[in-house]
Amino acid sequence: MLTQVGSEIVMDRRQRTGYLVLAIVLAHVILISAQVNAAPGTSVLQSVTFGVFSEVQRWVTSARDGVFDVWSGYVGLRGVREDNLRLNVEISDLQLELQEQRALANQTRSLERLLKLRETVALPTLSARVIAADSTPYFRTLTVDRGRDNGVRTDLAVIAPAGVVGRVVGDPGPRAAQVQLLIDRNAAAGALVERTRASGVVVGTDDSALLMMEYVSNLEDVRVGDEVVTSGIDGIYPKGFRIGKVTNVEEGVGLYQVIHVEPIVDFSQLEDVLVVLNSQAVRSRSESE
Amino acid sequence: MKTAYVGLFITVALLVQTTVVRIGAGGTPVDLVLIVVVLTALQRGPVVGLWAGTFGGLFQDALSGGIIGVSGLTKTIIGVGSGIAGSRFILGTVWHRLTFVIGASLVHAFCYLGIYSLIGLESPMLPLNAVGVEAGLNGVVAILGPWLFRVMPAMFHRFRQGRNPLNRRRWMTS
Repeated sequence: MLTQVGSEIVMDRRQRTGYLVLAIVLAHVILISAQVNAAPGTSVLQSVTFGVFSEVQRWVTSARDGVFDVWSGYVGLRGVREDNLRLNVEISDLQLELQEQRALANQTRSLERLLKLRETVALPTLSARVIAADSTPYFRTLTVDRGRDNGVRTDLAVIAPAGVVGRVVGDPGPRAAQVQLLIDRNAAAGALVERTRASGVVVGTDDSALLMMEYVSNLEDVRVGDEVVTSGIDGIYPKGFRIGKVTNVEEGVGLYQVIHVEPIVDFSQLEDVLVVLNSQAVRSRSESE
Repeated sequence: MKTAYVGLFITVALLVQTTVVRIGAGGTPVDLVLIVVVLTALQRGPVVGLWAGTFGGLFQDALSGGIIGVSGLTKTIIGVGSGIAGSRFILGTVWHRLTFVIGASLVHAFCYLGIYSLIGLESPMLPLNAVGVEAGLNGVVAILGPWLFRVMPAMFHRFRQGRNPLNRRRWMTS
């Protein structure tokens, strides 16, 4: 009797779990379908979650930097210092000081480069710090610590001293924005080969270390090693900024060549970037040139 | 209370993934949220796995540039599947768990990319070797993470005592 009651309870629980799984899976399917049919844009859930979580990410990044600073400045040297302290306290102190100076010099150099770029770019820009990476390994985006309050809007170009980084996507939060990197599979930018002025469109690929330049006619002269720069035709990226170098050129099956471009920016090392604030100025500059 | 812990673990995993271990171009080739979902489901069963997968996936979706619900759905499936497997099979050894997490990661990746293909949108397609690397790294992190979590207090204790924390194996808890 007891066994029968027990087995009924187990069956009931299993049935309930089954219904729950079914309900949640259905809810997901409905949610996905609603977005596929809806007009493109950012959902409320996405903007709210991004706005709130970017604040936490900013805090965690600061904490992480703090911990790394403490680690490199003190804890990391503790083992060395304990051994050396007895022998030579002065050398240990100097090493510590030297490291701090080196770190400072590196930071200054990086900021100097950014400042030089800012001076050479005749467009209003805003410096921003990278605070987080994408939450999934499938998309290539970054979060920067400037948002709506700083004048950042969707589709503004983001650049680095080396070249083009990407553009602002989604709805920027008050103090953070999401940047789609040029190497994302869904990213694209108007581009031209600097030597011959052959124009096309640079797009991201499955490989994070490679871009493709599309719509370049088979008749155009493109060689390995040619520099690829932005054409400004998309109205997002300012004209003349470096994208990368051509690494492979093949004649395509149809009208266009297959061109592989190696990006000039090392996206895994990005720390500071510039957001080009005025997309109108980008457009008018491109048109006037 | 346990549910709150699961939520906390997922939030911390997402924070660590996006801020602390930012090693790849744009992101990290390790899905810490997936690891937390799988390990939680293996330990606590399909219902907890279901909620962990739903919460973790939707949270990830809301922060990434993709469609909301894709990661939620795949992680829900993985959570329930892992929970059922955990309640039916004994995954006691390191190799069993490693194989299971790698398998779960591969299934997750194919479901994720498969849903995008079904929708007919431009999918964030990854090359097969990248999916393999991600699955392998997930497996290694799923083994090393909980182990470090167990031995860290003892290592820290030894470090504070001025002894080499990695000296011999005295800091092992079991």
